[in-house]
Amino acid sequence: MFRAELLKLTTTTAPRVALAVGAGGLILTQLVFVTVMPMLASGQIGPGAAALGDSLPTVDLSSAAAQLATLSPLGSSSAGSIGIAVIAVVLLGVLAGTGDYRHGGIVGAALAQPRRARLLLAKAAAAGVAGLVTGLAFALVSLLILLGTLAVLDVPVALDPLQIGGVLARGTGAVAALTVLGLAVGMLARSQLAGVLVMLAILLLEPIVQSIAQLISGALPVWAQLLPLSLANAVIGAGEFALNPAVAAAALLALTGGALALAALAFNRRDI
Amino acid sequence: MTTTDTPPIQARGLHKTFRGGAAVHDVSFTVSSGRVVGLLGPNGAGKTTTIRMLLGLAAPDSGDSLVHGRPYREWPRPLQVVGTVLDAGGLHPGRTGRQHLQVAAAQAQVAADRIDEVLAEVDMTAAADRPINGYSLGMRQRIALATALLATPQVLILDEPSNGLDPAGMHWLRQRMRAFADAGGAVLLSSHVLSDVKQIADDIVVIAGGRVVADLPLADAVASHDGDLERFYLELTDGRAGVR
Repeated sequence: MFRAELLKLTTTTAPRVALAVGAGGLILTQLVFVTVMPMLASGQIGPGAAALGDSLPTVDLSSAAAQLATLSPLGSSSAGSIGIAVIAVVLLGVLAGTGDYRHGGIVGAALAQPRRARLLLAKAAAAGVAGLVTGLAFALVSLLILLGTLAVLDVPVALDPLQIGGVLARGTGAVAALTVLGLAVGMLARSQLAGVLVMLAILLLEPIVQSIAQLISGALPVWAQLLPLSLANAVIGAGEFALNPAVAAAALLALTGGALALAALAFNRRDI
Repeated sequence: MTTTDTPPIQARGLHKTFRGGAAVHDVSFTVSSGRVVGLLGPNGAGKTTTIRMLLGLAAPDSGDSLVHGRPYREWPRPLQVVGTVLDAGGLHPGRTGRQHLQVAAAQAQVAADRIDEVLAEVDMTAAADRPINGYSLGMRQRIALATALLATPQVLILDEPSNGLDPAGMHWLRQRMRAFADAGGAVLLSSHVLSDVKQIADDIVVIAGGRVVADLPLADAVASHDGDLERFYLELTDGRAGVR
């Protein structure tokens, strides 16, 4: 069933569109981060850092922290914003989960594998592989943009290969986990429109909820750090996060596993 | 093709109610090896619900169904036991016919070279690499039939398989079903087209109002009404709303 589910993903255009849009968004975001921001700061374009004040994030590409942030396969967005790459990744999962319902392929799949939990596992494995490939592609795009920009600006690489490899590997894993999370939401929603809207709402509400929680309690509560996007960014570890990558990875896996378990429960009980 | 003492299809007291009020009540029938059984009934009578319960797609409130002595869900490779046409095959419009069959072959765990054989059998070789969104209804139905035949099953369960088929296609389908049954297979054919059923079926099961109202050899049904299957059918189903 795994091979059949993988074939489904490779023989339709939706996953390729999601991948292309995500990669395009990532390239745009990263290019802005590594080129426009420093130019704004230096005053090459715009009124300059002094005039822009706090509204201009500090980007010093010679620092290891800035270079790490640029390497994130989810885009080097500052906390509180949602990157196009993230949206593409979770929607890839949602489409993998709802495509069969939209076109009736779920009947054929359930006839081939009547044990629904096994069918869902096959779907999750295929979506996970698609997520790994996507994550790897996004990671390579981020790496190439960083190295290209540093070469053009004649800025030395401040990261050692282990740091680079770590961020890229963790980023690839985080993308895979988000894709499977999207699949679980898609399998629960069944309707493509509902799945996309629910997933977008989850992503868009996360920074809002975190801001409100922070305003109320004065600091970001632990539960607010356990939301999917924050967890994915903490796993990648390309910035300052309260959770260390290992703890965040465990929490993200638990969240994804929980969502899959819910989807399996619903899938098992429903008539098709 | 395997022929055993156990009937290939057994529905035993299937009962299911839906929130909207529609229901299937105590539906029981058997399809034996070497027989083509026509499942007849008005729209909403419960034919498709019955078929879905047979295939484990819908859970009955009570009763059970067996395929060659086992619930469908318990077969390790069910597509090698039952070939099915439901919902026009669940074809993704963005795939080609061949890609659809490649997915189905992976699901059924059959060799890829079988794809060319079934494409030839349903006369779709020339159009196999075109996207399904350019197919006519009849072409989609042929791909759905090819999918059902892919794993050389022992039982065929077909829900309105002749929808959209041209006369040549319908003729082929009738011959294929007859040959399948003559080779020891069992066919359950749900259809609205009485003339088709009359030409191919050995037995008929009529469902109306969610209940089996007739289960007999076709020849007996026809003989009881001077050769007029339509009159037999209408007398049984008249006044029974399909949607309950």
